[in-house]
Amino acid sequence: MTKNKILNKVKMPFCQGCGHGIIVRSIAKAMEQLGYTNHDTVIVSDIGCSGLVDPLFDTHSIHGLHGRAPALGVGVSLGLDNPNKKVIVIQGDGGVTIGLQHVLEAARRNIDITLVVMNNLLYGMTGGQISGLSTQKFKEQRHFEVDVPPFDIVKLAHASGAAFSARATSIKTYTEVLKDAIEVNGFSIVEFSSLCTSYAFKKLDELQEVFEEAEVYRNERIPVRAHHKERKSLLDNLQIIEKEFDSKIEKRVGLVLAGSAGGGVQSAAKLLATTGMFSGLHSTMKGEYPVTVGTGFSIAEVILSTTPVKYTGLETPDAVIVVSDDGWNKIKGNIQENSTIILDNSLKNEETESLKNKVVYGDFNRAAGKRGAALAALSYWIKDTGMMDIEALKKSVSSHKYSKVLLEAIEAGLNILT
Amino acid sequence: MEKNNKQMVFTDASMLITEACVKAGADVFIGYPITPSNRFYQYGTQRFPSFLAGPDEITVMQWMAGYSAAGKFPVSATAFPGLALMTEGLNMAYAMELPMLLILTQRLGPSTGSATTGAQGDLMFTYGAISGHYPIPVFSHSDFEDSWTMTYEAIKTAIKFRTPVILLTSKELVMTNKSFDLNKLKEIKPVEKFSTKVEEPYKPYKTGKEMVPPYIPLGDDKYQVRINASTHNDAGLIKKNDPESMANTKRLKEKFEKRIDEIAFYDFDNQDGADKLIVTYGISADAARDAVAELRDSGEKVALLIVKTMIPVPPKVMEIMDRFNSVIFVEENIGGIYKEIIYGKNAPAKVIAVNKIGSLISPSEIVKAVK
Ligand code: SF4
Repeated sequence: MTKNKILNKVKMPFCQGCGHGIIVRSIAKAMEQLGYTNHDTVIVSDIGCSGLVDPLFDTHSIHGLHGRAPALGVGVSLGLDNPNKKVIVIQGDGGVTIGLQHVLEAARRNIDITLVVMNNLLYGMTGGQISGLSTQKFKEQRHFEVDVPPFDIVKLAHASGAAFSARATSIKTYTEVLKDAIEVNGFSIVEFSSLCTSYAFKKLDELQEVFEEAEVYRNERIPVRAHHKERKSLLDNLQIIEKEFDSKIEKRVGLVLAGSAGGGVQSAAKLLATTGMFSGLHSTMKGEYPVTVGTGFSIAEVILSTTPVKYTGLETPDAVIVVSDDGWNKIKGNIQENSTIILDNSLKNEETESLKNKVVYGDFNRAAGKRGAALAALSYWIKDTGMMDIEALKKSVSSHKYSKVLLEAIEAGLNILT
Repeated sequence: MEKNNKQMVFTDASMLITEACVKAGADVFIGYPITPSNRFYQYGTQRFPSFLAGPDEITVMQWMAGYSAAGKFPVSATAFPGLALMTEGLNMAYAMELPMLLILTQRLGPSTGSATTGAQGDLMFTYGAISGHYPIPVFSHSDFEDSWTMTYEAIKTAIKFRTPVILLTSKELVMTNKSFDLNKLKEIKPVEKFSTKVEEPYKPYKTGKEMVPPYIPLGDDKYQVRINASTHNDAGLIKKNDPESMANTKRLKEKFEKRIDEIAFYDFDNQDGADKLIVTYGISADAARDAVAELRDSGEKVALLIVKTMIPVPPKVMEIMDRFNSVIFVEENIGGIYKEIIYGKNAPAKVIAVNKIGSLISPSEIVKAVK
């Protein structure tokens, strides 16, 4: 039933005197005073004592993992994409510590959620261990990491772009601060001091170190919401290729093309594959290059076949075309006996001269430039072997945005003397 | 010019999978870039109605869970290092029973291994990904056509069973371009997401005989929805050790076991008189297809089983293996992971493993092992 009553009539699960109860009541009061119903409210809870809040709220709730509630809340808020629904995320200082990135990310994007931080300076559920928000005084008394200051989550959130970040110090202001936070359009965070009676009974003065004065910071920003865009099918952009030329390939031909990154190796290989398709063949193509795609070698394998190609491995290529040192160094250890090797003239040396394969040298780089060498070599190979119609390669290039330059490389390849 | 009714294009399976996701009704792609899953990220930005760039994979999985809890179907794609970070959130989404699809592109491990070398090394991890050994559905595809259909089935399963589903693939499967006839793709219709039949009084985790709770998003105006990753009762509230929440926990496994036939996908290519069976999946399937054709050409009788529902293991798949005197597992990993899932550490003598890392298993290697 939809109603403007946010809390259930269940007993608070916290230890006697625990500060969490009053914060829970203040959240409910703020929501009720702002006119939200229980069906407009989604409570996202974390792990720890602060994570016991779900049954207290007569609202929607989702109980997730330690530190992750702000990220989960971001997903819920973007997924709902409904400013009338309020997502309230509750976590402790332990949760903020383990999931700090999530808080900063939500603030940076200014996602429309309200994050309530119940800071009791420690991990209550596991035995009172220190957190990233534990104060130095608190740690001094425990002789532990005294020199390490706590994160100021309020300032961090503000610096990251939160629309509203506040620290509430007096119980009397809790509801009002929360109302301000909830009403903000975007990411809001309120840090509360919460007394853990079980592990830090005497820590009022420790808390004071952080909670001396109330603070409120604002960034005037519009919240980031989910973007929706109807897109057309990716398949609609694909070129439909029909057979227009004949080929002399009888079964299957495999080629390896090797050069340097940025040398047009991958795009030349793709053009060869589509040339095959214009010639009524089936084709596959795969590339290999270092993780740093802009430097080093670039290798592509192409298979052209009269029947659909299942297995795409290429153990014994019919031809290996190499147009640069990078390419040669990468593949030289893997040359198979029966492959024809087509090399750029610059690669003529003792090593290549000692190959037992059929080796052909051509001035591809000089004729077509570094970027055109691979395509020029392919064009040479097509003409030399007569496997396909050179017009099929030209056709393949015709719809390319750099077709003019590519056609020049093809012509250069046709005029190469070896 | 030859006229035919084919629509030949030059594409890759990353594109087909991305397109199939959106056609099936996926709403948002939440990505963190990782090789060799980057094409999914790229196509995701071009095709999905919504796209988000997460700051890390932990966040990605949380955002996905949030979207799913709010009724939107999320998809992401990663590789093992990303999966490692996502596993915490995957367990959460599994316990919460949130539909989503995670595409896992396998690459050579361990650790960061070789980012651009394919592999089939992550099946055991997905098999054990959920604490307590509950099955998370893991589907694999073996060629372009079933990259399309298995994506559709994965999303249908995620919604029907309210669960995260993993689509297991690998580098060479999704980064190799091929000529392909688009007319081979069957129509995909958006999957109906939300439950229309809700038993009153509504309880978020109360189920009928289908064993899956109704899917109603957070923020619903009629029903109060509670979603919970910790051990919970039918109301979706934390409850330890009581019969209702224990039954709810056991149901997470039982819902798949009882209805496994609904999601048992495989291709079984039998041959009369064959007493040898090649069992494979994913990237090794095409080599096996070629090997089987070659073996049959040479007069050898051999059957081929390409498994697509990897986890949970469908009993039907095991029944097929039981029928043969010789079972040859072909997988690109060390030792045979799927073989170990089926037969444990003590496989019977009839089981042979063809394994390799660092490059594709070739048809000739399979032929040699069978002969
Ligand atoms: S352990 Fe501390 S924080 Fe937890 S409920 Fe008890 S008093 Fe509150």
